[in-house]
This record gives sequence, structure tokens and C-alpha cells, in this order.
Amino acid sequence: MLEVSGSALSAERLRAEVVAANIANAESTHTPEGGAFRRKEVVFSTSSPSSFQMLLTGGLHHLPQKAAGMVRITKVVEDKTPPVMRYEPGHPDANKDGYVAYPAINPVEEMVDLMGAVRAYQLNASAVNASKQMIQQSLDILK
Amino acid sequence: MSIQMLEQYLNLTSDREQLVVANMANVDTPGYHTRDIDFQGAMRRVVNGSVSGDVTPVALQVAGLPERPDGNNVNLDREGLMLSEVQMQYQIGVQLLKGEFHDILTAINEGK
Repeated sequence: MLEVSGSALSAERLRAEVVAANIANAESTHTPEGGAFRRKEVVFSTSSPSSFQMLLTGGLHHLPQKAAGMVRITKVVEDKTPPVMRYEPGHPDANKDGYVAYPAINPVEEMVDLMGAVRAYQLNASAVNASKQMIQQSLDILK
Repeated sequence: MSIQMLEQYLNLTSDREQLVVANMANVDTPGYHTRDIDFQGAMRRVVNGSVSGDVTPVALQVAGLPERPDGNNVNLDREGLMLSEVQMQYQIGVQLLKGEFHDILTAINEGK
């Protein structure tokens, strides 16, 4: 039962890291791929089967236990928003008209996303604690 | 309650805890729906003795929860409450089971 919370913890951590990279590169005009930095986003998905399949298989005990409800990050996608053009003729990355392409990153939006990731991380950490307590209690039966 | 019944009670409670934990884990997964088991129904079957061996609860989607625009309907307040409820239920089960074993131990020791 700890694997499910663990998968959510690592997914939320990766989400926070991607957001941190977005904030850090909010002014990056130069990337190895060329052009301005592109904002990245994570895509979460669950590995549990649909409820219809669950009904067909007849319950939890017939399913592989670790498969139920694990969270995975299936991919990290690039935001397709076009870069913001700012007039800075002296900038080394300026185009022939003197405009520089800056990433279309809104720091407020990123901070809100980061807070969401942190809160979800805390929530899952407390779920881990709850699971641990229950395991500890069942060990106490032996005493 | 017999030891067997308490065992089933603890099994059901830990199944429920797993679903609550899975719901919490998927709080940001688009399209995920809150799942739960019919705890009272399953427990009633255990008490009535209509099931022999393990009860296999079916995970169902919880109806009546408002869905967010991304198709997810996990309610953190519900899950938080359920988690503490399930934890306490489990603790009750463990304490009762310890009591049952204690009774057996008393019976053994007093016979000496």
C-alpha cells in the first residue's frame, strides 16, 4: 500500500522540479535547440484499470495489488504558446528588427502550480504516515 | 465478534484504506474518479455469515461528487476525513483482536 503514495510523491516532486525549471528559465532567450526556452508541463495518468474492468474482474483481490491507482508521469509536454517579443536592439539574440523572443512564462501561474504540487506532496506524505501507523498497529497484535 | 470476523473487518478496512490512499495519490490525475467500497454491505454479509472465506469487496465509483474541469472528482476533505476514519476503525479492530487473544491467554494461564 505504500507504493501508491510513493508513486504520487515522486510524480509531484517531478512536477515541482519542472515548475522550478520554468521559473528559473523565465528569461532564457538562448537554448541548445535554438530560440527561447519553452515552458514545460507534466501529464499525470493513473495505472489503475477502469471501474468497468474492476467490476468484471470482481474486486480488489483479483487484481495485482501494486497496480491499483499508481500515478505515473506519462510525458513532459512543451507549451505551444508563442514567445513574447520585446524590443531590445542591443541584445545578442535580437532578430533583424531588434526584437528578442522571451519565453511566455507567467511567474504567478508557476507559483500557483508549485503550491499545488507542494500541497499534494504533503498530503501524500501524511497518507504514507497513516499507512505506516496501520502496519505498526498490526505488528502490535503480536505483542 | 469472533477472531474470523475481526480478521475480515481488518481486511475490509485495509482495502478501504488502500482506495483512500489511491484517491489521494490521484488528486491531480485528469479524468480520475473517486473510488470506494461498499463497506457496510460487505460487513453485513460477514456478520450474516453469507460469505465463507474472504470477502471480496468491489471498488465502485463514488456518486455525487462535483467534477472539476479536467474530469477529476477527488475531494480532499472527503479523503482526509476517510483516512482518519479508516485509521481509527483499524485501531478498533486491532484492539478487539488483541482482546480476543488476551482472553485465550487468560484461559490458558488460569488453568494452571
